[in-house]
Amino acid sequence: MKTEHIRNFSIIAHIDHGKSTLADRMLDITHTVSERDRKEQLLDDMELERERGITIKSSAVTMRYEFEGQEYMLNLIDTPGHVDFNYEVSRALAACEGALLVVDATQGVEAQTVANTYLAVESNTELIGVVNKVDLPAAQPDVVAEEIEHIIGVRKEECFYISAKSGKGVEELLRAIVLLLPPPENLNDEPTAALVFDSHCDAYRGVICYVRVVAGSLRKGQKIRLMRSGRSYVISELGKFTPQMTPIEKMGAGEVGYVIANIRNLSDVTIGDTITDEAEPAKKPLPGYNPPMQMVFSDFYPGNNTEYDELRSAFNKLALNDASFSFAPQNSPALGFGFRCGFLGLLHMEIIQERLERENQIDVVQTAPTVSYEVKTSDGQIERIDSPSEMPDRSAIEEIREPFVKLEIITHADSIGPIMKLAEDRRCNLLKTEYLSTIRVMLEYKAPLAEIVYDFFDLIKGASRGYATMDYEFLGFEPGNLVRIDILINSQPVDALALIVHRSKAELRGRKLIKKLRQVIPRHQFEIPLQVAIGGKIIARETIRAYRKNVTAKLYGGDVTRKMKVLKKQREGKKRMKNIGQVEVPQEAFMSILDTSD
Amino acid sequence: MIRAILIELKQKSSYRPFATAYLGGGSPAILPRSLLFELIDGISAEIPADAEFTIEVNPDQVKYELLKDLRSLGVNRLSIGAQSFIDDELKFLGRCYNAQTVEMAVNTARKAQFENISLDLIYAIPQSNSARWRENLRKAIALSPQHISAYSLCYEPGTPLYADLKKGNIRQAEEETDRQMYEITIDMLARAGFEQYEISNFAMSGFTCRHNLTYWLNEPYIGIGPAAHSCYRRVRSANVSDIRQYIEKIRHDKNACIEWSELTDEQFACETAVLNLRLSDGIDVKRFKALTGIDVSKAFGDVLKKYTSLGLIEEKQGRIALTGAAMPIADSILCDFSSFYTEPD
Repeated sequence: MKTEHIRNFSIIAHIDHGKSTLADRMLDITHTVSERDRKEQLLDDMELERERGITIKSSAVTMRYEFEGQEYMLNLIDTPGHVDFNYEVSRALAACEGALLVVDATQGVEAQTVANTYLAVESNTELIGVVNKVDLPAAQPDVVAEEIEHIIGVRKEECFYISAKSGKGVEELLRAIVLLLPPPENLNDEPTAALVFDSHCDAYRGVICYVRVVAGSLRKGQKIRLMRSGRSYVISELGKFTPQMTPIEKMGAGEVGYVIANIRNLSDVTIGDTITDEAEPAKKPLPGYNPPMQMVFSDFYPGNNTEYDELRSAFNKLALNDASFSFAPQNSPALGFGFRCGFLGLLHMEIIQERLERENQIDVVQTAPTVSYEVKTSDGQIERIDSPSEMPDRSAIEEIREPFVKLEIITHADSIGPIMKLAEDRRCNLLKTEYLSTIRVMLEYKAPLAEIVYDFFDLIKGASRGYATMDYEFLGFEPGNLVRIDILINSQPVDALALIVHRSKAELRGRKLIKKLRQVIPRHQFEIPLQVAIGGKIIARETIRAYRKNVTAKLYGGDVTRKMKVLKKQREGKKRMKNIGQVEVPQEAFMSILDTSD
Repeated sequence: MIRAILIELKQKSSYRPFATAYLGGGSPAILPRSLLFELIDGISAEIPADAEFTIEVNPDQVKYELLKDLRSLGVNRLSIGAQSFIDDELKFLGRCYNAQTVEMAVNTARKAQFENISLDLIYAIPQSNSARWRENLRKAIALSPQHISAYSLCYEPGTPLYADLKKGNIRQAEEETDRQMYEITIDMLARAGFEQYEISNFAMSGFTCRHNLTYWLNEPYIGIGPAAHSCYRRVRSANVSDIRQYIEKIRHDKNACIEWSELTDEQFACETAVLNLRLSDGIDVKRFKALTGIDVSKAFGDVLKKYTSLGLIEEKQGRIALTGAAMPIADSILCDFSSFYTEPD
């Protein structure tokens, strides 16, 4: 097919704004999927994605659409909708010339949509504004179109009003894709260069690369080379997602599809790599991507009914299809052998955690998530610290740098007060306040990631009756007045409970933490001091009182069986705990770091 | 029913000779005299003449004539459920007698030639305090019993007391108060010449309750009558508790046992450890090995090490015992003996 008859586009939308429904409707109208094969929302592959109503991994589908007697090839490249997966969004966008910005007519523009739209603008993607769900009683299409115009600059008169559910306006939208979005550049005569924008691993066929041919062509049996890794392969199959995998013989410039070339491991393919022809290679690889930045880290230890090796093989399996997830062996004096895991963000962590439990029946003890820090040591070296326990000695530290993000919050005007108060409490600096309409406001902050990564979203949701949305974008590391708090249980420092916080909050956080620990650690036969230390100096103390009386008064013949059961139960409770010195500490204690409530 | 009990007694006495007898279950003295005497006669016939033979009585059941007859039939130990010497405490416990009745009962018993008398006392009653408890102990000591069992009030699910507690009608004594009273008990009774030989039991020299020691040493015992429990050849069993069914079963099968379980080596060793550790003498290491076939230091090595280092368990002269500091909080320690930590070889 001629490149001028190809359109590559993606859909940018907030969760629940109707992205998948719109995709389904397009598949219907273009007869890509027969009624019989249809499952609701075809593009969301994984069970978990369906349940959460979000798309985690991008995927691609090819549709045939006839317009004015000419057949067009429309490639829809799906994007994830959540903040944690910005990286995957930018990958998808790099394979497109255009994007549909879909906004729910009853909800308006949300923070995540704004962030993803900016990504599209940065990558020179042509945008079409779409107001969805216009037939709902609460729809305010004109107000929403104005918001789109205000934030993104797509003129309100140029927005499309549709109902993906009923199909209203979708035909017009398909026409607009053909008319308004540019075709790919015709580079068929250049040496082959195809961008790998995603990949997944199939148990039987090995790695399946999702590619966008930028220049030249790919064909079955072709000897290819991955330009960054330098490895060579032979294409055993290539094809299109329609949406099932449909083999073809050849793919020209501008086309989107998949390549199978007997690649065994996902790690052999770097996302963003360029496929070229072995004999006639391109001069230089395509721009590619910046690697994803892992910002949240947490330790996972095998729980009661799980072995270390089981946990390792489960992580291996998960890492196979998620290049953004990493894990490395970790040994904690308090918790034993486990793994330190890196995630893009908190949602990413939750998803891995759930898949671990759901797909592998694995039981884990998890430490509180922390962000990554940079430490400049006195000899001028800069180290990345993913765990407070890795922090070098205080005397060897010149400065500690923490990650900052640009935080965007969109909310109702009447909740600005409480939200600004929350942001201020979390050391956020207001950069900009922008009224999207008379009742909707966008707040832009510079915020320390550590302060917003755990519970901040829940708090602003609470402060705005569920209305506020937020998104953030990594800015960089900046020095801060940060200190490490050590927690001592029975005079022994516990690495898994250490945390790095701003000095202004250190004492308060420490005090709250040991108060919480006092509630969750059971009493023992002896008094247990809980202490907070900063730089080796104890600044606060709580005490868990010792048992004073805990004994069955009467125990004679008839009571033995029952009493043994009671004692066993008392003992079972202890089994699920971790021994730290002489103290038995329950799993809950390690998560109390997260509890910042009063 | 007495007929059925006597049949069961006859049947089970063939297992092995009885060394002690204990007629309990609250208040056997409410039985009509003739039946009571027939029962006691039957028991006496199955035990050696000098064997410890205890009967439980409530203070208000104590009559000189009755005690004299019991004594002459071979009963040589009297366990009096005194509970308290303070009237409002007795009322709280649902007892229909007063402090004076208790004192009279003990004196009557002595007159009837009982030289081995035990008193049951209860502390940590909601309205009690240290002074009242001292008063109770003083009165008990003044009566010179040979044995005292002092129990902290316990709220058993299913009892009216428990229901009142849950409803908030009564307030359980503070843990610290309970502890203080326990310490007062140990201290005052020691001064009066009583030796603490079990968590809640105190005796003058030579007057430990040999019958109850059987339980704590985890030696075999046979329970006879409805709801009675037995432990014989590592099988724990229980009789049916319904009286009609009990009689029926004995009449048909000469056996009323309705549930039993054979203990595994681990269960038996754990029970033995838990029960032995309630005794001041603790576990006799050699005896433990001979009885259970298991090496106590191997089966509980880590736990013993932990609690020895905490000063809660002491090993000396072939014995492993809870220290004085451990007694008041024994359950928090004994729970670690409820199963093996590591499989012994």
